[in-house]
Amino acid sequence: MSLHKDDGIVLFKRAYGESDRIVRIFTLTSGKIGAIAKGASKSQKRFMNTLEPFNHIAVEYFEKYGKGMVRIENAHVVEANAGIEKTLRKVCTASFFTEFADRLTKEREKNTSLFYLLKEVLTRIKDVEFDYRDILYYELSMLECLGYMPNFTTCVYCGKAMANENRLYFSSERGGILCPRCSRFIPHKTYPDEVIATLAGLKNGHPRPVPAADGEENRSVAPYDVGDGVFERSAREIMEGFVSFHLDVEFKSYRVLKSVIR
Amino acid sequence: MYYPAPIERLIENLSKLPGIGRKTATRLAFYLLNAKETYVADLSKSLVEIKEKIRLCSVCFNITDVDPCAICTDERRSKSTICVVEESSHMMVIESANPGMYRYHILHGVINPIEGIGPDEVRIKELRERVIREGIGEIIIATNPNIEGNTTAHYIAEMLQDLNVTITRIASGIPIGGDIVYIDPLTIKSSIDNRRDL
Ligand SMILES: [Zn+2]
Ligand SMILES: [Zn+2]
Repeated sequence: MSLHKDDGIVLFKRAYGESDRIVRIFTLTSGKIGAIAKGASKSQKRFMNTLEPFNHIAVEYFEKYGKGMVRIENAHVVEANAGIEKTLRKVCTASFFTEFADRLTKEREKNTSLFYLLKEVLTRIKDVEFDYRDILYYELSMLECLGYMPNFTTCVYCGKAMANENRLYFSSERGGILCPRCSRFIPHKTYPDEVIATLAGLKNGHPRPVPAADGEENRSVAPYDVGDGVFERSAREIMEGFVSFHLDVEFKSYRVLKSVIR
Repeated sequence: MYYPAPIERLIENLSKLPGIGRKTATRLAFYLLNAKETYVADLSKSLVEIKEKIRLCSVCFNITDVDPCAICTDERRSKSTICVVEESSHMMVIESANPGMYRYHILHGVINPIEGIGPDEVRIKELRERVIREGIGEIIIATNPNIEGNTTAHYIAEMLQDLNVTITRIASGIPIGGDIVYIDPLTIKSSIDNRRDL
């Protein structure tokens, strides 16, 4: 039994019995861990309100049950979730990315860049309301961090590099684009000109927008709508298909997020 | 070893209750077997009754056997103030501290997108309708001061902002009789932010 100290972001909490709490935390040095906090729901404990979703905490835990759940000994808040509760959209967005990190990682797989990315998302949500492009950008960034990035540049079947104007066919099952030849015998959906190229460019060329002091954002990205919401609708279909067919996960928070983002 | 089928069935049913294992269930079953006929009849009747007679009040969504519930029809209570709580059990806690003062609105949950619970899954729309219908002057939001409870409070405030209703939130701070030294920084901050004139 040894005491560990780490930084972590709380992904999930659930009451356990009368006064205990089970949490999942994405830690900086050990990846995701499941933990039990004894007496966390009772007011006497100092860490009662630290083990709340979206909090960045400093945590001390005992590796007690082998590679299973750890026992939290102490925790304090490094950056509180305060601000995320202000609007439903903020909370839904934060929930989506937190669930994303939770569901697509295995326990004890260290991923420092995912930790910092999640931290960045949660901090940013407090300052700005995400639009669908922000969500797309961070969704793709997370997929990249996790090694699940859809292939938007070469045909997933024959490997042929594709020019922007030929990126029209996307296969959810195979997780990427197809060349015209392969598209003849592999199931896919066809998207309007520039949709896939824009989606690919969003990730690569997107300068991380930094909110100015007055809250107004400085966005110097290429026009992203092919017109009339076509890009947004198509991008959403591509991403939903990719996540549900290729990664085989369904996010509980996504349905609620969708009803808010429209 | 097996008991006669009716006893087995009882043991099996009892062991489905929270915190009751097969051993305890067996003990309870034998207790009931030896108990007075009238007690067992009474117990089984009350079990059936909670399913037959208990429902939600159509006004406040509290659990009740009469509709509207006794609280909603209590003329001595404020007509203009509604206290909004997550669950019936929370209502009981507030009621015992302020007996006979308020009427309530039970949300039956809080917004929690990670668990797939959005605003439509809790009774916020009904609260808005009620505020309009009854001309409510003040809403006290008494959801828990955690991320879900705070989210729900903010959302309710947003949903009611076009109505002429005062919206207040229960305070978070140092418990009465508590010691500042043992209070976490967030609570201390809240108690300072929400300080009041003396
Ligand atoms: Zn090909
Ligand atoms: Zn009622």
